[in-house]
Amino acid sequence: MQASRARLFKEYKEVQREKVADPDIQLVCDDSNIFKWTALIKGPSETPFEGGIFQLAFAVPEQYPLQPPQVRFLTKIFHPNVHFKTGEICLDILKNAWSPAWTLQSVCRAIIALMAHPEPDSPLNCDSGNLLRAGDIKGYHSMARMYTRLAAMPKKG
Amino acid sequence: MAQGQELNVCSSSASPSSEDSNPCPICLAPIFRLSYLDKCFHKFCYKCILQWTRVVASKQSDPSSSVKCPLCKTDNFSIIHGYDGCSFQKHYINQDSGNCFVLSSAHKYRLQCYYTEPGFLDDIFDASRYWKSFKYLQPNCWLQNWLRREIQALMQEEDVDIIMHHIFGVIKSLMSHKQKCQTITYEVKQREFQEAISDAARPFLAARTDRFVNEVELFLASGLNIEAYDAVCIQRLGWSARGVTTEATAEGEIAEHRPVIPYLHSFDDFDSSD
Repeated sequence: MQASRARLFKEYKEVQREKVADPDIQLVCDDSNIFKWTALIKGPSETPFEGGIFQLAFAVPEQYPLQPPQVRFLTKIFHPNVHFKTGEICLDILKNAWSPAWTLQSVCRAIIALMAHPEPDSPLNCDSGNLLRAGDIKGYHSMARMYTRLAAMPKKG
Repeated sequence: MAQGQELNVCSSSASPSSEDSNPCPICLAPIFRLSYLDKCFHKFCYKCILQWTRVVASKQSDPSSSVKCPLCKTDNFSIIHGYDGCSFQKHYINQDSGNCFVLSSAHKYRLQCYYTEPGFLDDIFDASRYWKSFKYLQPNCWLQNWLRREIQALMQEEDVDIIMHHIFGVIKSLMSHKQKCQTITYEVKQREFQEAISDAARPFLAARTDRFVNEVELFLASGLNIEAYDAVCIQRLGWSARGVTTEATAEGEIAEHRPVIPYLHSFDDFDSSD
């Protein structure tokens, strides 16, 4: 518990220092609870998520970093590896390929990479996975684009 | 002494910049007790990488004799530690049934005390009376053993004698300043005691130091031997006596082969993916 706190505090300081360095990620720690974080990540360019801002919620276990944080999308996203309703993310490094050398910041980077490179063979969103597996890239793109517009982009007046 | 040497190695063999720029990848703090994996030579705190190998082993039904480096995924078979310039020690992954330290149930009960609110025994043992009545001038013959067990539990390591003697020495020298004790008030003496132990223990116990100081003081104030003290604590905690004290140092707990890492109780949740 104390080890996880100490480490999260280090990450917090690092995030404050690096804020400018990674314009695609904005990590914020909950005011009252260092085990709760949210992140805003930019949809990667040349993907249907480009221009969108996606919000992630982190729940960090007391055993962190020996155990991975639990991360989910708060922003609706149409992606084969993200559960459409709960926002749960299917990503090996958040499960059995976790290493304590990952940080919340690098997990965000991994999620951005996953957005750009979906894995349709282990889908949490079957509709999305099936489109890709059937080779319907256009269908996938337009669905993903629509939801990005609806949920992840600021409404234009 | 060994501590100092390790720090020297750490700062001289690492990049010329400060240690802070090359922290342990697991705790992100400056490396404490520098250790390397034997193939890729990535550096970690000894305790951090050891804990990680145990976590990995606890997830495998048949723990393998190698561990993947958290940084580069290279398979490694041992952890090199205690390098002092000419010699080093090797800890083989999961070959440690003999020399790895298994917390006994007495250690576990001590650790659990640290999860309770401080002050849960204050109405039984009166620390201020201990100081007021100069009881501290009487040596406590159980203190060494009590300290050893406490530090073992907190650090989850067996060989803590150096640290134990260090802290014991600080306590002993404090308690024997007879000439001064008449002139200063008991509050001053008590604070002096707390600050001195806190300073001595903090490098090893980190965030648990304050509570540790508290527990040492309580044990001393109780005037009880270890068994009697344990009995009072356990009764207060409301646990049924599970033979905690009787088998305190029994080696017979081999059935419980896996070392206990007290924080890791909910791992199964994360195995569901396979």
